[in-house]
Amino acid sequence: MSEATTQPPRARSWRDIPQEIEPRRMSRVGRRRLNLAFGRTVAMVVALGALSWGGYEIWQTLQQNPQRLTAGNESRPIETIDLQTNGVLDDAWLRQTLDLRDGVGLMELDLYALRSRLTASGQVRTAVLVREFPATLKVTLEERSPVVRLKAKLGEPEPRTFLVAGDGTVYRGEGYGAPLVRSLPWLGGVRLRRAGDGFEPLDGISQLADLLATARAGVPDIFASWRVVSLERLSADGQILVQSTQVPEIIFGVREDFYSQIARLDLILDETSRRATAPLRSIDLSVGASQVPVAFSPPTSFFP
Amino acid sequence: MRSKARFIGAVEIGTAKVAVLIGELVRDGSVNLIGFGECQSHGVIKGIVTDFKAASDATHSALLVAEQSAGVKIDEVYLAQTGGHLDGFSNQASASVSAADNKVSDVDVETVCRLAKAKSLPEGRTVVHHIRRPFHLDGKMVGPTPEHLHGERLEVGYWTVHGRESVIANNIHVVRGFNVLVGDMILSSLASGTMMTTPQDRQHGALVIDIGAGTTDFVFYQDGSPHLTGVVPVGGGHITNDLTLGLRVTEGQAEKLKLRHGRALVHTRDKGDKVWLNGDFAIGDRQFPRRSIELITEARVWEIFEVVKKKLGPDFGPEACAAGVFLTGGTSKLPAIADAATKVFGISAHLGEMPPGMDDKLNRPQHATVLGLLHFGLQNRGGAGVPKRRRSGGFIQKLFAGS
Repeated sequence: MSEATTQPPRARSWRDIPQEIEPRRMSRVGRRRLNLAFGRTVAMVVALGALSWGGYEIWQTLQQNPQRLTAGNESRPIETIDLQTNGVLDDAWLRQTLDLRDGVGLMELDLYALRSRLTASGQVRTAVLVREFPATLKVTLEERSPVVRLKAKLGEPEPRTFLVAGDGTVYRGEGYGAPLVRSLPWLGGVRLRRAGDGFEPLDGISQLADLLATARAGVPDIFASWRVVSLERLSADGQILVQSTQVPEIIFGVREDFYSQIARLDLILDETSRRATAPLRSIDLSVGASQVPVAFSPPTSFFP
Repeated sequence: MRSKARFIGAVEIGTAKVAVLIGELVRDGSVNLIGFGECQSHGVIKGIVTDFKAASDATHSALLVAEQSAGVKIDEVYLAQTGGHLDGFSNQASASVSAADNKVSDVDVETVCRLAKAKSLPEGRTVVHHIRRPFHLDGKMVGPTPEHLHGERLEVGYWTVHGRESVIANNIHVVRGFNVLVGDMILSSLASGTMMTTPQDRQHGALVIDIGAGTTDFVFYQDGSPHLTGVVPVGGGHITNDLTLGLRVTEGQAEKLKLRHGRALVHTRDKGDKVWLNGDFAIGDRQFPRRSIELITEARVWEIFEVVKKKLGPDFGPEACAAGVFLTGGTSKLPAIADAATKVFGISAHLGEMPPGMDDKLNRPQHATVLGLLHFGLQNRGGAGVPKRRRSGGFIQKLFAGS
């Protein structure tokens, strides 16, 4: 036993053993954990630094020129408008529609308002506007494709041609070539209703577009003879009427697939062109596959 | 709240297996066991790391499995320490109570504790534990807090456990290779002893023997606290080795025979009673006398207990160990081992049992140490028996250790 007279020596404890270990002595898992921890530390330091720097900048600005905080960020005036579209619209239409004043800065643009201008015409389904610094406005458009045309008055004294897209949107149509427009059949049997500066989308156009696309792909010669398509019996009887140069009335039913109806039409036109003596008056394809009522015009009388 | 919890990993790098248990330490001090990983140990002989890379790979695999099962990253580790390099000694000190009215003060307690712990160690040795024994005031035992009692002479004893610094450093660095800090180091025997005994058992006197694969750890409790501890570098692996040599079979075959037919006391009297090696009648399958297997296992188990008894010295006796002998560890599953212990120590011995409510996966004697690590470590955070934790590293070090 010992008395407390002097400071006794302290025995070395396991806690005095240094726990530091070189990374190369660590296992793969250990090194990965170390790297993760290092990355986390660096990220934290960077984040803290960025926060501190930002805070310092704001403080400096508040001290020297507080108005700068509320002022818009001045950027260089727009030099380029880069247009990408899947349709026919061109740079001229874009510049005219955007109607940007000269020397406007990129950051001054109200992209939401510009997008509204672009989609207002109806021809543009979606528009994406992106600022590409320092001085480029990138515009990406997705345009509607016309399936039929119609004539209507919209504030003008004379009726003018409008195009109808597959989703029923009625729009004026800019940039389309005349041959393309002439190849579209006229639309009849619909009631146009005004909505804002244009018309409300039409119902039933998706079924019509399906019919026209099937005909255009399957029997392009027959389709080329179609002049007018009418939806007047669509809601009541489920029928689409087509007036062509060959037949005054072709009736399609929407309850049967259009491909088989067009195939029957092709067969009937083929047969009648070879055998019939009188011109066709109507072909009703809406009855079904078992029978197709075909009417002929009365033969020209040989007797006065 | 989960974000405020700390995740403690209890790691036991044993000779046969590496076990890792993850506990979630919540604010109120309770622990939820949330993950467990175990894998076969490599590069460890008799509890000492002999192949750093192999031991690291095994330990890190177990740590990874435990982390994956818990779904969290370990913040710090409580590491079990065992091996034949560990040794212990008792050191006592006394101090006169300084106050004129003979009232024991904090300073008196601190002085006598410091004196009792102050003993130089040989070169290359380092302290693992200072285990405090009860205070005595004027020769009478007093509670753990003698402050404000009246007396003239305050005495206390410490059981100091020390080990070879290089071996302990290797163990620490194996864990540090996983980039996690060792928060505490706990003797395997203290860990399993905490799990196997109740405070009443420890008060009455109890001996806990944890027979592992490479070592046998024991702790003898007296008056409610550990009186002495020890490690015998012999375990179940040696029984297997004896069978390998005695029966001329491979290590794997010997292990199988031990598990199937080994007994700590010879039971078979018929020398003609034989057992098949594999039992599948394939080429190489052969018979062995059951009695031979039992004789070999009994001899080694008996020897282990004899060595433990010898190490306990004169302090151990039936009257000082009223609660009996508690056996745990993987080898304690050997049939009749409690009977063998009873015969050797001359007091009742039984297999230790885990506290009720333990998960089936963990409720096995071989997991007593790893469970006890968490229990003992958290119980003694900054307690009297274990040196207070040094402040570890600061902000940057915690950042690195945390991931």
